[in-house]
Amino acid sequence: MDGAIFEKLKILSDGAKYDVSCATSGVDRTNMGRVGNACAAGICHSWTADGRCVSLLKVLLTNRCVYDCKYCVNRRSADTRRAAFEPHELAELVMEFYRRNYIEGLFLSSAVEVSPDDTAEKICRCLHLLREEHLFAGYIHAKIIPGVSPELLTRIGMAADRLSVNVELPSEESLRLLAPQKKPGGVFGPMKRISQTLAEQKTLKGPGFMDRLKPMGADMTAGDGCPADLVRSQNPVAAPRGRYRERFAPGGQSTQMIIGASPESDRQIIKTSESLYRIFRLKRVYFSAYIPVSDAPELPARFSPPPLLREHRLYQADWLLRFYGFAADEILDEAHPFLDADLDPKTGWALRHIERFPVEINKAPPELLLRVPGIGSVSALRIARQRRIAAVKYDDLKKMGVVLKRARFFITCSGKYYGGKGPDPVYIKNLLLQPADIRNSLTERKESPQISMFDGGFPLAGAPFAPAAPAGHAAPDMRNAPVAPAAPSLAAPLAPAPAERTSPDMPDAFAAPADAPCPPKRRNGG
Amino acid sequence: MDYLYDGSFEGFLCCVFGHYYGERAEGIFPAARYQGDLLRAHSIVETDGEKAARVYAAIENKISKNDMKRIYTVFCSSVPDKETALLRYIRLGFREGSKIRLLHGNPVVFAVQRIEQAVVKEVHRMCGLLRFSEVRPVAGSAGRAILRAPMAPDHDIVEFLAPHFCDRFKNEALIIHDVRRGKALVSAAGEWYITDFRDAGALAETGEELQYRKLWREYFDAIAIRERSNPACQRRFMPARYWKNITEMLR
Repeated sequence: MDGAIFEKLKILSDGAKYDVSCATSGVDRTNMGRVGNACAAGICHSWTADGRCVSLLKVLLTNRCVYDCKYCVNRRSADTRRAAFEPHELAELVMEFYRRNYIEGLFLSSAVEVSPDDTAEKICRCLHLLREEHLFAGYIHAKIIPGVSPELLTRIGMAADRLSVNVELPSEESLRLLAPQKKPGGVFGPMKRISQTLAEQKTLKGPGFMDRLKPMGADMTAGDGCPADLVRSQNPVAAPRGRYRERFAPGGQSTQMIIGASPESDRQIIKTSESLYRIFRLKRVYFSAYIPVSDAPELPARFSPPPLLREHRLYQADWLLRFYGFAADEILDEAHPFLDADLDPKTGWALRHIERFPVEINKAPPELLLRVPGIGSVSALRIARQRRIAAVKYDDLKKMGVVLKRARFFITCSGKYYGGKGPDPVYIKNLLLQPADIRNSLTERKESPQISMFDGGFPLAGAPFAPAAPAGHAAPDMRNAPVAPAAPSLAAPLAPAPAERTSPDMPDAFAAPADAPCPPKRRNGG
Repeated sequence: MDYLYDGSFEGFLCCVFGHYYGERAEGIFPAARYQGDLLRAHSIVETDGEKAARVYAAIENKISKNDMKRIYTVFCSSVPDKETALLRYIRLGFREGSKIRLLHGNPVVFAVQRIEQAVVKEVHRMCGLLRFSEVRPVAGSAGRAILRAPMAPDHDIVEFLAPHFCDRFKNEALIIHDVRRGKALVSAAGEWYITDFRDAGALAETGEELQYRKLWREYFDAIAIRERSNPACQRRFMPARYWKNITEMLR
């Protein structure tokens, strides 16, 4: 084996690691005398020290780039080592890793060395080498470079299982500011073409349960500067009549947005995802917390921690969109542009709409069960199935997988309410955020301070509980501090609004840094 | 009355037969691991293929095929007392029929369901965590390379891994070795069998193998993002007890 390959693999995987998608799901393929198969559920093979799963060999074909996107490690102006794989090298690497069961397949992306078409052609050559020379039948995820020509797109799609075009930034202004060489048309053109091709061959599946569960409240609306507005037609891509043709990207397509590099609100991000799901019927929209890699003044300072909690809450909201029948406007409205850092978005929604609760477990329609915090799609299904045979008792709920810690406030079981005082938002929120549950709370919380006689009046120099702001945090950076309580009236006793936090004469006891290095409890990689 | 059996699935089914046609069983235990009880009598049940087949058919017909699968999966777990839990499940199943699957709240069903989930989860996990090494017989190293994967799973799952890996690596010769139980799945050309397997000393890693391990470790380290470091999350998905057989975690 050539020694140079060690170096290349190191450089080119380092450049690709900020791409989030690692899904290997959606394709079921048994082995027809080739090498490998694909499993519809997807298989994760390892987990790195950051807790993200490794299922695909995630590499760039090259990291020599002519673009100068400010948020990117591989931008032209960055001072990093450059390398490029030869197609046969990469193909052999994939085959050897695959037969040792290290990986499920290949995730191939690339920097733009000459032009989008030139890069796409190299990717295409590499994929065909794998599929036709090495007879590889495992999973391939190929990244589509914005602005690629339709012919190459089709050829890559015939070799790959999943395609993705990265939106990167949730609004056109940010795209213009941070990635001047990328045009929205270049992103949405290929995206639309992929969806149309999938629709023509009748394999456009779309995200989660979105088709089955219609949002109860408002339907999707355009506006808010979503880049999807730029696409001329707002009509969802639909399947025409005709018979099945060929297998183009059977795993569908996904995309990715960087969180915290540009000033968009959570609401804008969620609305953009929703329109991507509804118009292009993407399988997934991934979020990637921005990790500062450059000193550009438009971006958060270097060494400021990545907004991991914000990313986590956005993923929770994304699940509500895809599997729980929520509309983006229900999760966040104009009055509340940011997700609550303390509570998950579903509980947040339930507390704002407390008039709909409690719901009766034995009578409520399944759509309503899905809206109860603590009841997921599996437990809702189990409840619906079991209550046909016998009434569901409160003690049964835990065994069905319901999280009673949250659910008990929002349900009645055969008419009895188990949540204590009654469905009162302030009361419920206080109970949910009790110190005993700190383990389950993602924001860091200090012990409640002793009440001081001098509260509010005197700026106490060296007050014991005023945390020193970390260096990267001296400037109040709204982009990295998403603690904007969804309902200020409810949240007031627990988390002061960010505006208050910076005022100098407030003892800063509760202002737990939202971006404290407390990791999301569960990162779903796939 | 406690029934003792020889540890095989047929033996277990014969105990169920004994429960219905002989004295009521209070518990079923493998004879090798039975600790006597002063207050309870026990009897050793002879394994009889015919009786086992009758119970097998009765479960399939009167409960359902899916439940037979569930019972077998639970039987392959290493949970102590799984046999007694299964006996309760089978008794309830003969009363309720195939709708037993829907009784999630019933403590008997719940217990069995939990064990089943643990086994199924480990099978899925092992599909990802198994690491093959390219080996050759030490004597006569000119032979064809074999892929060998050692593992030490909690439950006896080697058989459940067969469909996945034998299909995936159809054109390779495979050995999946359960080190803890001294058995192995041996497969070539999509066909497989399970056999006792203890000594792997006759096989040695090829030179290339060590290179690819190194390359994989290098990749594994490069792909982690330092700013997001979260080892607790890593351990939650990839428990430390599996690490001794995972290439990238061995340093």
